[in-house]
Amino acid sequence: MSQLTIPVERHSLDNGLKIVLSQDRTVPVVAVNIWYGVGSRNEPTGRTGFAHLFEHMMFQGSAHVPKNKHFELIERAGGTLNASTWYDRTNYFETVPSHDLALALWLESDRMGWMVEAMDQEKLDNQRDVVKNEKRQRYDNQPYGDWDERLQALVFPQAHPYHHSVIGSMEDIDAATLDDVSSFFRTFYVPNNAVITIAGDFEREGALELIQRYFGEIERGDAIPPLPGDPSIDPLIGETVRGHVLAEVPLPRVIMAFRIPPYSSDDFAVAEVARGLLGMGRASRLYRRLVRERRVAKGVVTYAFPLLTGASLMLAWATGYPGASPEELEAALAEELEGLVEAEDHEVRRAIALTETDLVRGLERVSERADLLSMFELYFDDPDRLNRELDRLRAVTVEDVRAFARKRLGPENRAVLIYEPKGSA
Amino acid sequence: MSTFDRSQPPVSGPIRSFDFPEVERRSLSNGLDLRVCKLSRLPVVSLNLFFGAGEGGLEESRAGLAVLTGDALEGGTVERSGSELAEALERIGARLGVSTGWEGTSVSMSCLADRLEEAFGLLAEAVLEPGFPDDEVDRAREQQLAAIRQRAMDPGALASMEASRRYFAPGIPYARPQSGTVESIAPATRERLGEFAAAAYRPHEGGLIVAGDLDPDEIEAMANHRLGAWVGAPPEANEFSVEPAMRERRVWIVHREGAVQSEIRVGHVGTDRATLDYFPLSVANMLLGGTFTSRLNLNLREENGFTYGVRSAFGFRSRPGPFSVSTSVGTDVTAPAVREIVRELEQLVEGGPMDEEVAASRDYAAGVFGLQLETAGQIASRISQLVVYGLADDYYHTYRDRLRAVTTADVVAATRAHIRPAEVQVVVVGDAEQIMAPLEALQLGPVEVVGVE
Repeated sequence: MSQLTIPVERHSLDNGLKIVLSQDRTVPVVAVNIWYGVGSRNEPTGRTGFAHLFEHMMFQGSAHVPKNKHFELIERAGGTLNASTWYDRTNYFETVPSHDLALALWLESDRMGWMVEAMDQEKLDNQRDVVKNEKRQRYDNQPYGDWDERLQALVFPQAHPYHHSVIGSMEDIDAATLDDVSSFFRTFYVPNNAVITIAGDFEREGALELIQRYFGEIERGDAIPPLPGDPSIDPLIGETVRGHVLAEVPLPRVIMAFRIPPYSSDDFAVAEVARGLLGMGRASRLYRRLVRERRVAKGVVTYAFPLLTGASLMLAWATGYPGASPEELEAALAEELEGLVEAEDHEVRRAIALTETDLVRGLERVSERADLLSMFELYFDDPDRLNRELDRLRAVTVEDVRAFARKRLGPENRAVLIYEPKGSA
Repeated sequence: MSTFDRSQPPVSGPIRSFDFPEVERRSLSNGLDLRVCKLSRLPVVSLNLFFGAGEGGLEESRAGLAVLTGDALEGGTVERSGSELAEALERIGARLGVSTGWEGTSVSMSCLADRLEEAFGLLAEAVLEPGFPDDEVDRAREQQLAAIRQRAMDPGALASMEASRRYFAPGIPYARPQSGTVESIAPATRERLGEFAAAAYRPHEGGLIVAGDLDPDEIEAMANHRLGAWVGAPPEANEFSVEPAMRERRVWIVHREGAVQSEIRVGHVGTDRATLDYFPLSVANMLLGGTFTSRLNLNLREENGFTYGVRSAFGFRSRPGPFSVSTSVGTDVTAPAVREIVRELEQLVEGGPMDEEVAASRDYAAGVFGLQLETAGQIASRISQLVVYGLADDYYHTYRDRLRAVTTADVVAATRAHIRPAEVQVVVVGDAEQIMAPLEALQLGPVEVVGVE
């Protein structure tokens, strides 16, 4: 088995900005990646969806960069860029030919330091429309599109920061004001709440000088305020909670979710292996049993969310054939999940082997390296954890998986969300 | 404190030149074109085995059979059940995938370098000795039928499918969904799959592309060992020439009651991969709808807030594929969005692009080409394109130079030759009761509400 040796170097600026460098000069490409420690979990009641709307505003220009200029300059350089908002963080990233590293750093620094000056009502109204269309396209006009907001509401209590979805509600998106943009910026978009990673082809001293030049004069912000609501949460749901949706969907689908230990917990690795064992690849337990042998499902998906706040979420879903009974599909899925108490060693090893290939292949891209390094720095102050990712998984034993199944995958820790095609009930 | 002018973008550093990695080409005795590219960055290998078993070669009554046969390969071999095959691959961390397109079938694999030999043996077994057991074929067929049902209720998929039907004349393969229809898939049996694979899974004019941490001599030996006995050519493909469904501009609405958005496709028959206008058209498409700062996206998203995003694309195939603009917009702004799309097409064709736009698109396309050569998988799929479309061996070595040579006049000529705003078919999947009258008021052409096939 291979051992990862991705170079990792840590630095920081006086204003608190954390820096990770990871050099690889094989191809003349460099990735710049910034993670801010803010996501949908930081949104108070009445402002759901704001962290994501704010991410859109970050592309509307800053003091020295007119609207759309950020995209224009990076595309002109032959680079790619994007951003994403999630529960615990928001990230921004560019991949450019290595001779344009300074451009990417200048652009990122300008919006970290001088974004608010460029905001106006017209830009906010425009991006509000864009985001509402994003919600319509990806959630409302899409079969099963609202599953995550429904599931989060089932698994996490009303007061918990994960109770609401990242996209938020239309009403809250409508309610956002320019003042919200300014105060969110001053509160969360501060260097002491951010990590910048440069990965790929760059010259070490030069890169550090550039970061100092562009980011050094940005002022440190105040300490980050505590999360709104009540982040404390019982490790188990305590019962089976249910949601039933009669909708314009083509096929029945049963989504089952479980509270699991947070990403920061040592036990999270067990959840990752369990989810791989269940749903990764075509020799996985759910594919083999439900899709191939019993033929009650057309497809299966499993996922373990790497979430930080109190508890995380693992899910397994099965999509049935036309006319299938959702209750029978649910029973079959439950049986296989509970059957994991008798997981076998070869299944554990298969899941780890596939994860290993996927991880190593991901690391072929400097953008992926940078993203993982930023995450490990922001979440754990430990970017070198990337090189130990495989060890963490390899340490998981079949006994761990069985114990996990006994404790976590039973009916006393279960949320069930059923989509039933309209007209078939 | 600042010793520099923050208001000015930094100047670029010196460019590090970078060529497409060297590809060694060797022919196997069975006519399979072997291309090997050695990369030493990480201990991984990516591989594509391509052969001419494509959907474009099938008559309408068998539409989707190539896709189904490819999907059913995971059902096992004469020696191994589907589960055993999957277990054997995944136990060593190998990922095997089959994708079937108009031109052919491509079996791709990724694995860690030290597992290549074992994984390759399994790939060869899966392709050369498929078992197609009844229960696995039944399952693959039911899955494909269910996917067809899903497609019909997914507004985006539905719009793309309807657009193909409106762009291409009836009977041309490109007019139909690539994975077939209920009628063409329902009768598929293990015999039909077996016959199709026996005839069409043949190496002649196919290719084996391997990129990654490898030794080319070992790859050649391995290919000869595992594939040497595989011989023959696929049957002559069902010949067809591409014609548009009509040249009159029309609007087609697929009704979805209460839809909060409309999925829009605007386009017509485009051109083929071999076109001499490939580079100018690529540049034209970038500035029209191929980048964030393209005309369409700046208009529909950043000025008007109609949409989360809009894009245009030429589907370059061995024969002329579609040219299409795609977006989804709020129901209430459907007609204004269609009007703006058509207006942007007209303005580009009539007014031409500005020099600055051409330069920006050219630079983007040339730069991003280098960015997409990082992984073994990306490089393998680029090399595969050479085999699939019969492009020259040095194609990628001259690729960026040819992009950079594109002039504004080239773009003007290419757009006038290949984009015809007066002939576009406008397909809208949305709530007809709300969008019909505003679309009629645009006076683009006749507006018709059509059913789903």
